[in-house]
Amino acid sequence: MTFTTAHFGRITVDPAAVVEFPEGLPGFEQCRRFLPLNHPAADGLVFLQSLESPGLCFLAVPVQTLRADYRIAMTAEDLDLLRLPEDRPPALGREVNALAILSLVEGQPPTANLRSPVVIHAATRRAVQAIRPDERYGCREPLVVEKTEALCW
Amino acid sequence: MLVIRRRPGQSVLIGDDIEIEIIESGPSRVKLGIRAPQSVPVMRGEVRQTRAENLAASRTLDAVAPGEIAAVLGAARL
Repeated sequence: MTFTTAHFGRITVDPAAVVEFPEGLPGFEQCRRFLPLNHPAADGLVFLQSLESPGLCFLAVPVQTLRADYRIAMTAEDLDLLRLPEDRPPALGREVNALAILSLVEGQPPTANLRSPVVIHAATRRAVQAIRPDERYGCREPLVVEKTEALCW
Repeated sequence: MLVIRRRPGQSVLIGDDIEIEIIESGPSRVKLGIRAPQSVPVMRGEVRQTRAENLAASRTLDAVAPGEIAAVLGAARL
């Protein structure tokens, strides 16, 4: 299966790699299926390409790259959506992966949304943009890499 | 801001067709039920901020090509 994107041209879609957001993302509720892509010139970064909207592609980075000790916190509703146990946070890096969406706006320093990471259930590939119930991290955190080996330019 | 005290089971009406019911009240959170027409968007307050961030972030690749991202982030001193 192939899909023609605005930024990556025609890509091959491996169905097993597709990430499914049952409720979309805030602002993009109709976009349910995304494919994480890598680019040789952007090591350590993840391009979350929509498979419904050719021009929609988020730039993201694993949260641990920015905060080596990132602690995940999800609401009961989001845990339920991913069918994860509600009595404890999921194990980051094993049960789930969490990506912070980056924002590069011209004329402004790049920021990362650590308040609302994209949380992907590793086994089922179901995902949700999980807005933290607390305010431990912000929506517009300046980019400071703590795990440099994951990002060597 | 209008402040009203309510108990579980009671509700508040906004206009003719929006009803907010207090379903449950605990020491640190309340559970609300919201009845509103399909045309009225209902969202948690923090969702609005994430929505705005997503809309801004969705334009990232329109400004910088994938192959140039590393250089741009590098210049920002990652």
